[in-house]
Amino acid sequence: MARNNEEGAVWSIMGYLISGLLIWGGIGYGLDNWLHTHYFLLGGLILGAGASIYLIWLRFGRE
Amino acid sequence: MQITGHLASSAGFVPPSTSDFNLPPIFGHSAYLTKPIALVFFSVILISAFFILASRKSAVVPSKLQYAGESIYSFVRKDLGEEIIGSGFLAYVPFLFTLFTFVLVNNVFGIIPFMQFPAMSHVSFPYVLAGFSYFIFHAIGVKRQGLIPYLKGIAFLPGVPKFAYILLTPIEIATYFLIRPVTLALRLFANMFAGHLLLLVFIGGGNYMLHDSHLLMKFLSPFSFSFGIIMTFFEFMVQCLQAYIITLLSALFIAGALAEEH
Amino acid sequence: MHGTLNLVGYGLSAIGPAIATGLIFAAYINGVARQPESRSVLQPIAFLGFALAEALALFGLVLAFVLK
Repeated sequence: MARNNEEGAVWSIMGYLISGLLIWGGIGYGLDNWLHTHYFLLGGLILGAGASIYLIWLRFGRE
Repeated sequence: MQITGHLASSAGFVPPSTSDFNLPPIFGHSAYLTKPIALVFFSVILISAFFILASRKSAVVPSKLQYAGESIYSFVRKDLGEEIIGSGFLAYVPFLFTLFTFVLVNNVFGIIPFMQFPAMSHVSFPYVLAGFSYFIFHAIGVKRQGLIPYLKGIAFLPGVPKFAYILLTPIEIATYFLIRPVTLALRLFANMFAGHLLLLVFIGGGNYMLHDSHLLMKFLSPFSFSFGIIMTFFEFMVQCLQAYIITLLSALFIAGALAEEH
Repeated sequence: MHGTLNLVGYGLSAIGPAIATGLIFAAYINGVARQPESRSVLQPIAFLGFALAEALALFGLVLAFVLK
């Protein structure tokens, strides 16, 4: 979407990052609460950040 | 007004809080007619009256009123409609134009004397506006591409190895259906809320310092007031910018729903 | 006073990504202003750099709310 528009790209990058962190971080948080551990949250956050940066590269980075 | 009440009744400085945004009803005990609602109704009347008057006698050589109305309209049409949405933009200009003028007028009410309350600092108003935008851009996408291809286009990006879909599809779905409307509304809400709170802090603080018994505090209070005035001008800039940004993002979402083809 | 020090920590940690974002876009604008035809090459790099810097800021935001 709107690949040539820079303002739009910046806003959608923000959106992808937020949702990636929320979804995978949320899954990690839920697993932590369920299994009484405290490392799934960090793993989930890193996974989410990595996945959303990969998604951003797919959408905006490759030519 | 509320702040001076706080100050008179208590000993120390009471910083403004969220309770300053819950204004009492105007008439009696009916909870439905409060200041923000009255301001929203007034803004609708004001906008309608202005544009009806501006477009009633359209002449080749425009009057000042017609010129003002047309320049706002052409700004939305050219900079937000034509440049971002592209071909077939004319069908969406009415929505964008209504959104822009409504948000702009309601934001600017935040610094006009005697009104001085941006209705958008109550989160329910931006939620409704973002809900309109959300419904419209999804409806356009579904109408253009059909329900299944549209959802498939959102969820599955082409050219990705199969296992990556497990990671990426939840993010895409959450972005389109959850994060977009919420961030659209919260951006406007947070800016208006924080701006109004900032003005309350400086004006209320200046007022408190002026009534303080200590002479140094009396001497320093004009600085607080003048900073409040500077911040008022800054707020005007932010208010116009936020009205522009919510319209820009709605236009971008519509453009995305129109153009997305996989 | 009420509140949590987490938010102070988040405020401090947000300085880094803020400066980073500023530097990235300053360099991008500089490059495009000097050589407008390099835009298509620079744009993906600038966006990826922005995404990396912004990810760290949002990381801090999430952790500020989650950690107890």
